[in-house]
Amino acid sequence: MYRVAVSGINAVDNPGPGVGIAKGLKGGSLEVSIYGLAYDAMEPGIYMKWLFEKSFIMPYPSAGEEPFIERLLYIKSNYGLDAVIPALDAELPLFIKSSSLLESYGVKTFLPTEEQFKLRGKDHLPEIAERIEVKVPETRIVTSYEELSKAVEELGFPVMIKGIFYKAYKAFNISQATSYFNSIVAEWGYPIIVQQVVTGEEMNVVGVGDGEGGHFGLVGIKKLWITSLGKIWTGVTVRNEELLSATERFVSEFKWRGAFEFECIVSNRDIYLIEVNPRFPAWVYFATGVGVNLPDRLLKAALGLEPERDWDYPAGKLYVRFTDDFVTDMSEFQRVVTRGEN
Amino acid sequence: MKEAYEKPVILKLKTGMMNKFGSSPAYIRKIRKEIDGVPVEELVEKFGSPLFVFSEKKLRQKFREVKNAFTLRYPNVEFSWSYKTNYLDAICAVLHQEGETAEVVSEFEYEKARRLGVPGNQIIYNGPYKPYDSLVTAVKEGARINIDHFEEIADLEKVADELGVKPRVGIRLNMDTGIHPQWSRFGFNLESGQALDAVKRIASGGKLELVGLHCHIGTFILDPHAYEVEVRKLVNFAYTVEDQFGFKIDYLDIGGGFPSKNRLKGIYLPPEVAVPSVDEFAERVCSALLSSLRPGDYPKLILESGRAIVDEAGYLITTVHAAKRLPSGLKAYVLDAGVNILFTAFWYKFNIEIDREVYGTSEPCVLYGPLCMNIDVVDDLTYLPPLPRGTRLILSPVGAYNVTQWMQFIRYRPAVVLIGENGEVDLIREAEDLTDIVRREKLPERLKLEW
Amino acid sequence: MGKLERLAINDEGFIFDPETGNSYTVNKTGLFIIKFLKEGKSEEEIVKALSEKFDVSEEDARRDLVDFMEQLRLYGLLEGENV
Repeated sequence: MYRVAVSGINAVDNPGPGVGIAKGLKGGSLEVSIYGLAYDAMEPGIYMKWLFEKSFIMPYPSAGEEPFIERLLYIKSNYGLDAVIPALDAELPLFIKSSSLLESYGVKTFLPTEEQFKLRGKDHLPEIAERIEVKVPETRIVTSYEELSKAVEELGFPVMIKGIFYKAYKAFNISQATSYFNSIVAEWGYPIIVQQVVTGEEMNVVGVGDGEGGHFGLVGIKKLWITSLGKIWTGVTVRNEELLSATERFVSEFKWRGAFEFECIVSNRDIYLIEVNPRFPAWVYFATGVGVNLPDRLLKAALGLEPERDWDYPAGKLYVRFTDDFVTDMSEFQRVVTRGEN
Repeated sequence: MKEAYEKPVILKLKTGMMNKFGSSPAYIRKIRKEIDGVPVEELVEKFGSPLFVFSEKKLRQKFREVKNAFTLRYPNVEFSWSYKTNYLDAICAVLHQEGETAEVVSEFEYEKARRLGVPGNQIIYNGPYKPYDSLVTAVKEGARINIDHFEEIADLEKVADELGVKPRVGIRLNMDTGIHPQWSRFGFNLESGQALDAVKRIASGGKLELVGLHCHIGTFILDPHAYEVEVRKLVNFAYTVEDQFGFKIDYLDIGGGFPSKNRLKGIYLPPEVAVPSVDEFAERVCSALLSSLRPGDYPKLILESGRAIVDEAGYLITTVHAAKRLPSGLKAYVLDAGVNILFTAFWYKFNIEIDREVYGTSEPCVLYGPLCMNIDVVDDLTYLPPLPRGTRLILSPVGAYNVTQWMQFIRYRPAVVLIGENGEVDLIREAEDLTDIVRREKLPERLKLEW
Repeated sequence: MGKLERLAINDEGFIFDPETGNSYTVNKTGLFIIKFLKEGKSEEEIVKALSEKFDVSEEDARRDLVDFMEQLRLYGLLEGENV
């Protein structure tokens, strides 16, 4: 029996990947007991006892390394903990930095390196694209109105206005561009990425790199229907050889370690790289569902077991998300609030 | 036996706020009763509140850490103390004792360094505005001058004629290192060819000897890679200059901008995670140097690190003057120190420590300074247990920029003390009083009041 | 029946208001005060009780009680009659 903690259990309209990861682990070949790591007493995962045996409120990563690690070690010493699969961007730098410390306490992870993690910044995309021979939409990095208007003049409307890590808006005129620029700056700061809009099919690949240039499986999908927040609601598996081989080049060129999501736009034979996420996406259960149980394989890699590497999934499998609900007692909530665990 | 008391607190549970630990969890509440072994209360009793406290031990330790990181990796390194970061005599003296030269950016800072006993040839004179007379003095005294613009080349040539010498100078460059915003207002731009034009101009004048390159890519740089880019570009440019114009570049001054373990607003992660170690910076800089320099060539590497050395050596003790409840329900505290003396509060979230055990759950609160001004906010949202009046808060790191950028606005500036390595406490700047402020004022006779 | 009487309060300091659906947490001292308020005790009586049970001066207890009641009022848990 392995005890594994999973974060991102906020299964809400902008869901974290935790529930999908947990479903994968439950359906895997290892016997596991899963703990949820939450940041708010209202995260639905806390109440989904059929997946998460126990859940713990974590201090925010912004509160510092020490309380965070202390909390994990509290879980370790009171309930046992063999591995953690963190799933939120904000936690990753902390986990990456502390991975050897956690390892020394017997808590395993399987994460990208600090260098690899930095590649998620959109200002690094041209560098990645060049090395793996794919395209990137023409991009300008701007820090002022002056540069912004110059950039949109050069790229022509519409353009994408993006923050380095979060937020992306399509702007059709300069006043929209300016207002998105302002709102991203206000929330996330400089610089702002201005990008040509590329038309084509939006496709994503989820995978787990082995850290030596190989991987434990890839699954390529196309989003068929997304919510107003841009989250996938229906999707279909695809086998686009250009896309999959570009992903394999990415994994081997950067010797990627751990989970990742590779987001692209495929236009005829051209692959445009849009984003690299250094963690599982919220729809990771799709991979499990088509026979490539990536969460289970990642856990094995973390535990030092040899994961499967086959990934011969079929194209044309459909992914359907749906809403569900259940009723529980206020006392569950009360315990989370007063004790920080349940 | 009575039970321990904690102030009564009730909190409404709201989504997004239901984290038992908050961002300053109760169980890691930070208590600090002393600084380098000297009780906080004793310091305040003797020198008043608010009070800036510097730790000599920490300052020297931090400098040696930075120094070792670079000198272990490259054979020819000079550290030049960035006066603007903190030009208190005692602080500068500690760093000069440690072997730092002086990096100044105005005639005032130049004069202050000379007054402290720093020889002219141990001063690096930077900045976009160097009055003519100060250039004359600097050339006479052998200071190293990094030129900011074409007018300054002309000024220095005039100085050369006037004194009948050939000054050895450097030029400041600005460049794209992937850092935004790019600091393009200082020096000559590399990519546009302006820097090369400046070298041509100096060569054709024949009155100045170009011996150095200077660059300063920005401030609080969190990406060590940017320095690697900077160094490679500087080295390439140095060899272009040497090969095409016959000048020998003796020094590469890569400026400063290394971050301290302070928490920049807008950066989510805690500094111990977000801020790379000085070794990472040193590794990038020195390996870029060693891999791009020609065999046998070891020009002097100059570092003007300021914040990374002094920030964490500085603390501010401040006292809770009042507690109030805002109409929004938020708790507010009025402190005796505000943005008048804590300029860096505008972009940092300080580490807040309390001088005593305070019982009770942490609640969200805002910390206001003493000014009658809406902008006087020391921290717009933090989590503290209910603090009784008179509680001292110890804010850190505050060693960089505050005691140079502080304002004499509405209130007197407080005392500054230095705790020595053996625990001795020295007053290094007295608290101001009315005489400091009125000394330069003149009241015309006809306006004398007769009350 | 006053607002306070309807609250479901447990010993760990978790308060649920069945009328509004709001939840609150309260610390030990807060719980102590609410108990007395529910019993209709006067401010002076509560101040006295606080200083007898806890290590606190009457003056500090009075100041904190005013602030605490201000919070209850802001949350709509205290009506005019209790004040």
